[in-house]
Amino acid sequence: MDNLTKNAMNPSQIALSTLAPGFTDPVHDTQAVFRTLLDTLSRPGTVGVVEHVLPASQATGTHRWHADLAALAALLTLCDYSTPVWLAQPDAALASALRFHTGAPLVDDVHDAAFAYIHDAALLPEFEHFSLGAAETPEHSVTLLIRVDALSGGPQIVLSGPGIERTTTISPVGLPEHFWRERASLAPLFPCGIDCYLVCGSTLIGLPRTTQAKVN
Amino acid sequence: MSASPATPSSAMRRAWMAVLAHTPRADLEAALSHALEGVSPPEFDWLRPPETGLAMVRGRIGGSGDAFNLGEATVTRATLRLRSAAEHAPVGVACHLGRDRRRAELAALADALLQLPEQHAHLHGQLIEPLAAQLAAQRTARRDEAASTRVEFFTMVRGD
Repeated sequence: MDNLTKNAMNPSQIALSTLAPGFTDPVHDTQAVFRTLLDTLSRPGTVGVVEHVLPASQATGTHRWHADLAALAALLTLCDYSTPVWLAQPDAALASALRFHTGAPLVDDVHDAAFAYIHDAALLPEFEHFSLGAAETPEHSVTLLIRVDALSGGPQIVLSGPGIERTTTISPVGLPEHFWRERASLAPLFPCGIDCYLVCGSTLIGLPRTTQAKVN
Repeated sequence: MSASPATPSSAMRRAWMAVLAHTPRADLEAALSHALEGVSPPEFDWLRPPETGLAMVRGRIGGSGDAFNLGEATVTRATLRLRSAAEHAPVGVACHLGRDRRRAELAALADALLQLPEQHAHLHGQLIEPLAAQLAAQRTARRDEAASTRVEFFTMVRGD
């Protein structure tokens, strides 16, 4: 009880007693997840699956985060002390896990973030608030992980660009309408821009800045 | 872990963790099995399995001046959590110089057990106090050995 009140009062403290374990085999699991992330980003529109990497059954006393498995695996794989993370919706369990397992700092300012996790796509901030990189350093832009309700069954989006032979169609559910409009408005800024992952459960789709999307 | 205000319990924990971090593996293994009196240690989950890495050791000359990088040291750390039905299961943390994973596991387990109120007094008496005495004796012996070789230089005043 003593610890509980202390943790509630001090959000900078990592809640160790309710922390969930990370990868069981950090070296190989992160390599496998990284491969999936790379493949989905180089072949936009294909669905990547993140499997068997995080413990399926949670230990007793663990607070389950709300984040989807693929998003969590991606964050645990990509983040380290040099990549500030911004969480659109506060999630104490996820924040503790990220800070403990990766050492990544959590930031309040959207613009400082190298990675952003948006649990509720309806509350996605406007893209101009994020870091887009500079002409000399386009790699300093943000990578968004956006949770969607489903990766198929929604309005049809036709993708084209590098990594797609002609066109490919995706139909994610739950993305706000302004997402595609704002994304298209960033296209002239290339090489600056924002890379996105649409995440649902253990599956994800990569949307690099080079991909052109047409809403049907 | 981070800069928390030093409450009496956290100062005590720091002290016993220091003892555990300085104790060699063989001593730790023997002392822990002796303190547990044949009872098998409780089950736990790894939050961070023992891992070896490098830490940059920094220093200041004379305790003041600018910090500089002295060199890298190999450290092994581990974090585990006891499996218990309670809302707040104790979490044991260990970190020591070297690459002995088993030693980190034992130290983390001992740290977690010491946080259990019902076991604290017994374990502190059986485990930490003997080890602390042993460490203190080793330090004193080394200091005495060094002190015995001390040479005092002085210049005789030459009379004229």
